[in-house]
Amino acid sequence: MALLERAQWYDIARDTEWTPRYVTLAELFPPELSGGEGLPDEIWSTYDEPYKISYREYVDIQRQKDAGAYSVKAALERADLYNKADPGWISILKEHYAAVALVEYGASFQEARFIRWSKAPGMRNMATFGMLDEIRHGQIQLYFPHEYVSKDRQFEWSHAAMFTDNWVTLGARHFFDDVMMTRDALSTSIFANFSFETGFTNLQFIGLSGDAAKAGDFTFSKLIQSIQSDEARHAQLGTPLLQMLIENGQKDVAQKKIDIAFWRSYRLFTILSGIPMDYYVPLEVREASFKEFMEEWIVTQFMRSLEDLGLSKPWYWDIFLRDISEHHHGQHLGTYSWRPTLWWNPAAGVSPEERDWLEEKYPGWNDTFGKVWDVMIDNFVHGRTDKTVPGTLPVICNVSQLPIVGTPSQTLRDISIVHEGRRYHFASEVDKWIFEDDPERYRHHKNLVDRFLGGDIQPADLGGVLEYMGLGTVGPGGDDAHGFAWVETYRKQLAKAG
Amino acid sequence: MAVIPLAAHFHGDFVIKLLPVDSGDTMDQVAAAAAANAVGIHVADQPGRTLRVRKQGAETPYPRTTTVADSGLEPTECVEIYFE
Repeated sequence: MALLERAQWYDIARDTEWTPRYVTLAELFPPELSGGEGLPDEIWSTYDEPYKISYREYVDIQRQKDAGAYSVKAALERADLYNKADPGWISILKEHYAAVALVEYGASFQEARFIRWSKAPGMRNMATFGMLDEIRHGQIQLYFPHEYVSKDRQFEWSHAAMFTDNWVTLGARHFFDDVMMTRDALSTSIFANFSFETGFTNLQFIGLSGDAAKAGDFTFSKLIQSIQSDEARHAQLGTPLLQMLIENGQKDVAQKKIDIAFWRSYRLFTILSGIPMDYYVPLEVREASFKEFMEEWIVTQFMRSLEDLGLSKPWYWDIFLRDISEHHHGQHLGTYSWRPTLWWNPAAGVSPEERDWLEEKYPGWNDTFGKVWDVMIDNFVHGRTDKTVPGTLPVICNVSQLPIVGTPSQTLRDISIVHEGRRYHFASEVDKWIFEDDPERYRHHKNLVDRFLGGDIQPADLGGVLEYMGLGTVGPGGDDAHGFAWVETYRKQLAKAG
Repeated sequence: MAVIPLAAHFHGDFVIKLLPVDSGDTMDQVAAAAAANAVGIHVADQPGRTLRVRKQGAETPYPRTTTVADSGLEPTECVEIYFE
């Protein structure tokens, strides 16, 4: 039993600070690693973390969280929920674990860099807990899918994906390297903790845990809840820094960091959340569309947190609002069409009933994206499976690293610039703006098509591309999650029509 | 003769596709190569209609016999292919 209440000793314990005598402050906290140029030195001690916790409390709470998640897992293993789950849901697990687990370890390095380089004692203290959070997230999200490897080799990607040059991995790594691993402590906290975690991870995990429970996967639901409660705490690390920037005349600096990170986070989540929510989650348990989810959690709630700080919506707000109705539909068509390049089996999600749902949620879907599916369905129905996988690559955005997609006959457009003799392609005006704001940061990276055209991928054909991406080596590539059972309805319709 | 990679936007498609062509190819050949990656795969055929090629954003198509080399297109520049 503690003798003192936390509030009676927390500040003095947390503020332990010293005055360097043998090195200068700039040597102790190099600006390129610490950030915050132009902010007065005395301001760092005023950093006031919104969520305070002691180590004793932290360990006790974390032990309870782990005990809860692991006990649910142990209890439900006997119920064999895995083999009873819809294959579309299993695909979500495969996609999630491979895209997220190892990145969590990366996030522990991110927090460790705060512990060393942040000039704010309060932030260093909270980042210590953040680092422990991320190690836990890495471990638990590797341990849980490990039991599935014996059931399905695609789960090997949970551990291996981030070590490969799979195109989804290239996109995720490029994003996380940009926002999480290669910027100073202050910037990283705004990019990763505020924009990415508060804006997307924290809220996505709430949505995903709800979907998991409705789909009967209480193990994953509990896991996600356990992680989300950590995110809700350490995601707040960046907020006091934003306040410091704003109060010291650097509102524009803060706004630009958010504008870049918000768009990059959103685009990645169109793959990680947008596709599963609108196409993989079984229709009978599907509630909100991705667009509705974005409108509730991002458009309303995240924007409120921005406005509370005195910041504005990103300059591309109109583009963003239009984009949430279309971009992920194009990415779904792309991932499904090039399904051998995935580490999971995509669910098509376009049975007649599912198309009705899509049309209701996204009026006009049948006349745009649906037209493309009509051609693909015709091939499936008539057994022309060779025509359901394209023989060439999509053109890839040099910022998002995702295929350049758009609404058929409406918004599809390539945006390119020539910079120092090399042509770069972008999936949107926002991606182009991000590149042009800091070309030195992005110009050297080669996307998958750059590598293909540069001769890095041999042989220069689909087989070579698949081998380059680790398909068939780490684990098998993707195919339809339901074994094309959904095509039967269309086949029967065709037979009935004579 | 050299392989020139272009970015192809076939009207009706949802994605820009990489399109390797030969510098000596005519625009009709470019259109046919683009169609092989799009028509019957992601875009419905329109029998009896002619395919045309134009630089992205241009109002008029290239003459059908213009070669890639004569078009001035640079590697990975985007062309639109559409039924006329």
